[in-house]
Amino acid sequence: MNSSLFRRVPLIVASGAFVAAPLLLFAGSANASNNILQTTRKNAGTPNSTIVVKNKSGTVIKYGNKYITYKAPSSKLDTLGQALFMENCASCHGSEADGVPANGTNGAYPDLVGLGPATITFWIDSGRMPAKNVAAIQARRGQPALTSTQAVAIAAWVNSLLPGYPDIPTPHLKNANVADGAALFALNCASCHTIEGDGDALAASTFSPSLRNIPAFQVVEAIRTGPGNMPRFTGNLSDQQVADITKYVTTEIQHPNNPGGFGLGGLGPVAEGFVGLLVGLGLLMLVCYWIGDRS
Amino acid sequence: MSDASATNKRAQREAAGPYGKIGQTLNELDDRLGIAKGGRTFMDKIFPDHWSFMLGEIALYSFVILLVTGVFLTLYFVPSVATVIYHGPYKPMDGQRVTEAWDSTMNISFTVRGGLLMRQMHHWACDIFVGAIVVHMARVFFTGAFRKPRELNWTIGLTLLILAIGNGFLGYSLPDDLVSGTGIRIAYSIMESIPFVGSYLAFWVFGGNFPGTATIPRFFILHVLILPLVILGLVGGHLFLLVRQKHTQFPGKGRTEKNVVGSPMFPVFIAKTTGFLFIVGGITALLGAFAQINPIWQFGPYDAARISYAVQPDWYMGFLDGALRIWPSWSFMGFGHTIPLEVFIPAVILPGIIFNVAYLWPLLERKFTKDNEIHHLLDRPSDRPKRTAFGVAVLVFLAMLHIASSTDVIANFFHLSLESTLWGMRILVIVTPIIAYPLAYKICKEMQSYRGGGKRKTPNIVSRTAEGEYVATPTPAYGEDVGHELDATPVPTYIEVEPDEPVESGVRTVDR
Ligand code: HEC
Ligand code: HEC
Repeated sequence: MNSSLFRRVPLIVASGAFVAAPLLLFAGSANASNNILQTTRKNAGTPNSTIVVKNKSGTVIKYGNKYITYKAPSSKLDTLGQALFMENCASCHGSEADGVPANGTNGAYPDLVGLGPATITFWIDSGRMPAKNVAAIQARRGQPALTSTQAVAIAAWVNSLLPGYPDIPTPHLKNANVADGAALFALNCASCHTIEGDGDALAASTFSPSLRNIPAFQVVEAIRTGPGNMPRFTGNLSDQQVADITKYVTTEIQHPNNPGGFGLGGLGPVAEGFVGLLVGLGLLMLVCYWIGDRS
Repeated sequence: MSDASATNKRAQREAAGPYGKIGQTLNELDDRLGIAKGGRTFMDKIFPDHWSFMLGEIALYSFVILLVTGVFLTLYFVPSVATVIYHGPYKPMDGQRVTEAWDSTMNISFTVRGGLLMRQMHHWACDIFVGAIVVHMARVFFTGAFRKPRELNWTIGLTLLILAIGNGFLGYSLPDDLVSGTGIRIAYSIMESIPFVGSYLAFWVFGGNFPGTATIPRFFILHVLILPLVILGLVGGHLFLLVRQKHTQFPGKGRTEKNVVGSPMFPVFIAKTTGFLFIVGGITALLGAFAQINPIWQFGPYDAARISYAVQPDWYMGFLDGALRIWPSWSFMGFGHTIPLEVFIPAVILPGIIFNVAYLWPLLERKFTKDNEIHHLLDRPSDRPKRTAFGVAVLVFLAMLHIASSTDVIANFFHLSLESTLWGMRILVIVTPIIAYPLAYKICKEMQSYRGGGKRKTPNIVSRTAEGEYVATPTPAYGEDVGHELDATPVPTYIEVEPDEPVESGVRTVDR
């Protein structure tokens, strides 16, 4: 899986990297922020940026590389975002977005300050927020209640309280390699989402959702921000690898290759057993009943 | 001229005898091999007819399909875990490091002409094969066909079931994909869980530590050579005994313990059964063509570092997986060892008990009923309510274990928590058989009395009390009409009438 990568890199660089990588990892455990391989919670999605665009006042508004670009929400949307937040979110997350419930409400609501724009837009765009059922152990995906522009506006305001990363990603999948993505998916994601991406029940009433219907940018957002019980994949997956995975998810998982006929919902042996016994054996038993004697 | 040739032809035909050229050839053969006598007996073999007697044929014919498609697959499969880089037509796996086993299975699926069809037919035929054995065994069990003199054939049949399950598991493992590799890992751990000898046994069977390089080649030889040969031999013995002992028959008009009523091998039975072979083949081919099974390209190659959630085995291993899932985590530590009872009990002891009881069942039943007679007439399941109820309870128990192997799928589908599903299954596994037994027993009893459906009505005596009230009192049933559980009498009483003529056209009666 790495062979194509290494073929492109000159040998010297490669061997240098072999020596350097463990050292970097070591250094990373000592001082995480110095190391591009080991990103912290707040700057996930920033490593290896070859494109960095700043505005006049020097703040980064866009960064990334040829695999994924991350775009910061415009600060012009701050006021609109604040209004929307007060209307839709403050009742639970508090008027400071710090998770302290507003007057008259109670319960534990997460602190949103410093989570970065991609986290905010992911939870709104996927229809999880504003929460429909506060008692639910895990917010479910659904129809988004707000438009994506409104989501960006809210992200802009929350981010203005304490800037964080990652910004809102746009993957460029034509540069991604689906075969590497397949291997990385099996290694990193299949343990929760299943190898066919159907999702399944996890412990304590949580579940890993199906990936069959998620747009590419939300797959990147999920990987980079780690919603709910999903781990946040930061330094251990490069932007190239995230794009590879995203390409695999949006092509092979969402449009599986079923040369063998009906895919049986990707449920594997459970569905196969049903079909084999009910359809196969069942039909044959009916045939027995048909041609045999019924005394 | 034409006249002469006509007489010539006629003379030839006459010389050939009434059956023409074929008859002549057969005569020649008989002169040398002496097949006529045996052949005649065989062609006149009588097969009692009932739809449930054909269930075993499903198993037989799906086994034939397994052999044929299996030979095809063997031509292309490479049983090796040497790694190669995949460069096949399936692009999402291009450039991945895979084993030759996986690579060659991909080759069969995507490059070999008809390969995917053969693979899928092979797999579907296997699912049907084991299923047919189970329903056939259920038929044999519920109708008491395992009783003397057929205990040996029951034993052979049960062995066939175990071998079929085992060989199915081996075959499932051969492609070395992510899902089946997980299965081998579980099998390895089950073997390791056996106290004291487990780790040695696992090392010996798998040729070292997991995953090792010996597993796939060993599984291959077992799967394509050794077990099929044993199965083939046992099937031969099974059929030999069947022909030798003659088939059982349901009690009915003209059928006694001493005769066999049914269609002769030739021409009736042979036509039916050959047709049925084609139907089994046809349905398997349809499934193979239209329903995808085990898409290993979506799973990718096995790698001990990778794992997929929601992995289930093929259906016939489901009860084991289910038992493993729901068993409480009891493990015992001492004497410098860990004895993982949570694996050992559900995966070794439990199937051990189930299969041993099944093996011993004919013996056990004889002990209880003290019935040592020879039986050629079958029981109606409702006439043996206790046996039937026991069989139903065991099947329900196994079915519940089987359902427990998809706790995660159930929990996800019905939005339940995994823990409550687990506990639910634990309770159901115990409670449902306990409910099933009396329920089945009661239904059998009801069916017994229903069978006497044509029995005489008894009058209701309507009387008027002094106050003018009318009271209807049913009179008791006539003594002969009362439904009673038939005890283990060798010959059920209602077959005593012995008509002398065959009942239907094409049906013959011969002595046993
Ligand atoms: C009805 C109450 C409620 C409302 C309204 C609500 N939230 Fe939430 N929010 C929650 C709860 C409860 C959680 C924790 C859910 C979970 O973990 O599944 C949460 C979680 C989040 C998270 C994830 C935090 C983390 O640490 O990953 C974000 C982001 C978020 N909300 C944003 C918003 C935004 C933006 C709005 C307004 C559009 C909003 N929420 C409206 C109740 C609410
Ligand atoms: C430890 C288990 C775990 C792993 C590993 C994991 N996920 Fe997730 N994932 C989750 C859970 C749980 C959620 C749902 C979070 C929530 O809604 O609260 C989720 C949500 C998602 C979503 C959003 C789906 C939706 O319904 O909106 C995507 C996309 C996703 N994961 C992709 C991935 C990818 C790609 C990987 C591999 C890089 C991965 N996940 C690895 C557990 C996991």
